[in-house]
Amino acid sequence: MVIVKVKKKNFTNLLKNCSLYRFILLITFTFFYQISFGQEKSEDKSYYGRVYGGLESNSQFYLDDSGLGVVQPDEPFRSNNYINVNYNFKKWTGGLQVESYEPNALLNYNPQFKGTDLATYYLKYKTEKWNITLGHFYEQFGSGLLLRAWEDRSLGINSALRGARIHYTPNSNYDFTLLYGRQRSGFSVTDGDIYGFNADVFLGEQLNLYEKNQDLSLGFSYVGRYESVDFENPNFNELTNSYSFRFDYLYNSFYINGEANYKSEDGLLNVQNELSNQFVKPGSAYQVNFGYSQLNLGVDVTLRRLENMGFFSEREPSIFVNSLGEVQTSFDYLDKFLNYVPALTKQHHSQLANIYVFQAQNSVLFEDSEIMRAGETGGQIDFFYTFEKGTDLGGKYGTQVSINLSSWYNLPGTYTFNPPDYDVDFFGIGNKYFHDYNIELKKKLNESWHIGANYINQYYDQRFLGGGKLVKTDIFTSEATYNFTKEKSLRLELEKMFADADRKDWVGGTAEFNLNKEFSFYVWDIYNYGNDDPSRQVHYLNVGGSYRKSAFSLTLNYGRQRGGLVCVGGVCRFVPESTGFSLSFNTSF
Amino acid sequence: MFVMNENKIIMKTSLVLLILFLSFSAISQDKLPNISIKDLKNRNVNLVSDFSEKGKTYVFSFWATWCMPCLRELEAIKEHYDEWSEELNMELVAISIDDSRTEKRIRPLVNGRNWPYTILHDKNQKLKRALSIVNIPYTVVVKNNKIEYIFNGYSQGEEEELYQSLKKL
Repeated sequence: MVIVKVKKKNFTNLLKNCSLYRFILLITFTFFYQISFGQEKSEDKSYYGRVYGGLESNSQFYLDDSGLGVVQPDEPFRSNNYINVNYNFKKWTGGLQVESYEPNALLNYNPQFKGTDLATYYLKYKTEKWNITLGHFYEQFGSGLLLRAWEDRSLGINSALRGARIHYTPNSNYDFTLLYGRQRSGFSVTDGDIYGFNADVFLGEQLNLYEKNQDLSLGFSYVGRYESVDFENPNFNELTNSYSFRFDYLYNSFYINGEANYKSEDGLLNVQNELSNQFVKPGSAYQVNFGYSQLNLGVDVTLRRLENMGFFSEREPSIFVNSLGEVQTSFDYLDKFLNYVPALTKQHHSQLANIYVFQAQNSVLFEDSEIMRAGETGGQIDFFYTFEKGTDLGGKYGTQVSINLSSWYNLPGTYTFNPPDYDVDFFGIGNKYFHDYNIELKKKLNESWHIGANYINQYYDQRFLGGGKLVKTDIFTSEATYNFTKEKSLRLELEKMFADADRKDWVGGTAEFNLNKEFSFYVWDIYNYGNDDPSRQVHYLNVGGSYRKSAFSLTLNYGRQRGGLVCVGGVCRFVPESTGFSLSFNTSF
Repeated sequence: MFVMNENKIIMKTSLVLLILFLSFSAISQDKLPNISIKDLKNRNVNLVSDFSEKGKTYVFSFWATWCMPCLRELEAIKEHYDEWSEELNMELVAISIDDSRTEKRIRPLVNGRNWPYTILHDKNQKLKRALSIVNIPYTVVVKNNKIEYIFNGYSQGEEEELYQSLKKL
């Protein structure tokens, strides 16, 4: 009741002073509020619409750990919480997300995530042909090389655009999108104005391609970013224009698709992260993917070349100083990115294969006269094969083999450090950044036993990838699952990594016991026994358990977090070493 | 100073409304959202209208090429799939949430593994978001456009549980 009074008292002021989006929000809420009350009166649920959403909470209590050399942070208990509620009534849907980082966000999240506040909200009108959204929205054009607005809570990414979007689908052969917005950053938005247009055309039906076992689709995108700059005579346009052309063609079991992206000339950042008016370059991205698949066999090849494809909603990053006194930028927190440029490498599930993880090198970076890069070029090959059951290698239940090879390089050409400049070739390769050659085998032996094995060979040149030495690794993993009953199973995994530099050799193991479909428990450890510094030969032991029922799941963990990159879908967040208890739960409603 | 007040009001209003919404849990999500995503031939497929055959059970299984438990689950179901679909009038729809990092692996993997399922691709994860899915594998069982069961996670052997649940429908 008190809250309602406060609301009434300030309502006039509120109307007068609040910015437009808050007003729209209030109206939206009032609308839902009334409809929600209407629901009690009726037996017919569907008529009054539906409420749906989800809740997610990730908390951690950090501890002192002299063995790891970490001290308890000022606020040892930290928690990231998200509640998302949507209401759908006929053609209308509205929703909001409240986020709460109390008393503070988990270690090394964007410092702008602080306190509890309204994070995103939207109102959407959707018919068969039209889909109009006001407020925050997520979007991806093509593969996202120009624009992807998305959310990944474990990485601390929410790059939703706040503005308006019109999506028009006249029939199943066309898709058009027109949008304007500003990108979310923390609980606010950045200064860049983002304009976008996307068209996808599906020609399969019009050209009668389905009958010929063919399919063809074409795509075009435009993304513009306007941000005023302080230079008196800027050597580049304040509006940066980017274009993308794409195609996807299928013929029986063969497919090929590709895209070309261009970004107009724009100022680059100098070593101090300040915008330069002299170092001005355009950007481009090209990708070709083709493959062939038939029963039990699949082959896929992707080639990609990126040049100066860092694309941000604000040209200069925000600078922060963290609790340890280190200078960090909004780029380190994966903030203000307009496009999505994932590393095209295999995403491993083994703990040790995730220590030296490659990230796409799409941006220009001039660190010193040795380390200068303008992008990346390279490729990846995947091969999937199933030995049928009943064959020599297939055995009674069949055997699955996956092979994956990827290599990535700097762009070849001439680089000068002072004044910064580069002139790169389109074809060819420069210094090697990374490779990952791996093979995986999976097999079911009988009703009780499933086994698997992996071999991974990596080359990771830290000199170009954030500092350090060149590291070469060989990783062996093996796993086995034993079913006591249909419900009760034990999974064991052993890992071994030989590395010739940096923290050198590791060994690891995991045991996971599934008591029934609701409860499971695990213990895992990775041990850096090969470290040259005996005081750094540490274990990272973790124990925990989880409970899940229907849409609800809860996980409790105690243990050590290895400092380094934590990656989801090829995008990585740096986390410091830490020890503590963590509790996560989530559900939907 | 005023901005602070205004923020607080908005926050409080939202919280009150949130609680109100939650108290109406009786009308919580019992249907799939009316969203269209693409199949592997880039055609739009609507989650409601394209899976609405009366009396048929649809098992929507969210997976990704990099998700080991997902692959284990879909492999395990594959072994029984012929019997199940014959006995139960069911169809499994495997919805990949791979993004552009790994989406190129979907086509060769599905064929290389010889999966008999209908495959859809939730490109920018709008369906995953609408269902508030945090982790995969995540399986939603729908009959006559009504969500009957949700299973989150998978441990080896759990497909039997799914089968028993489907039999009850």
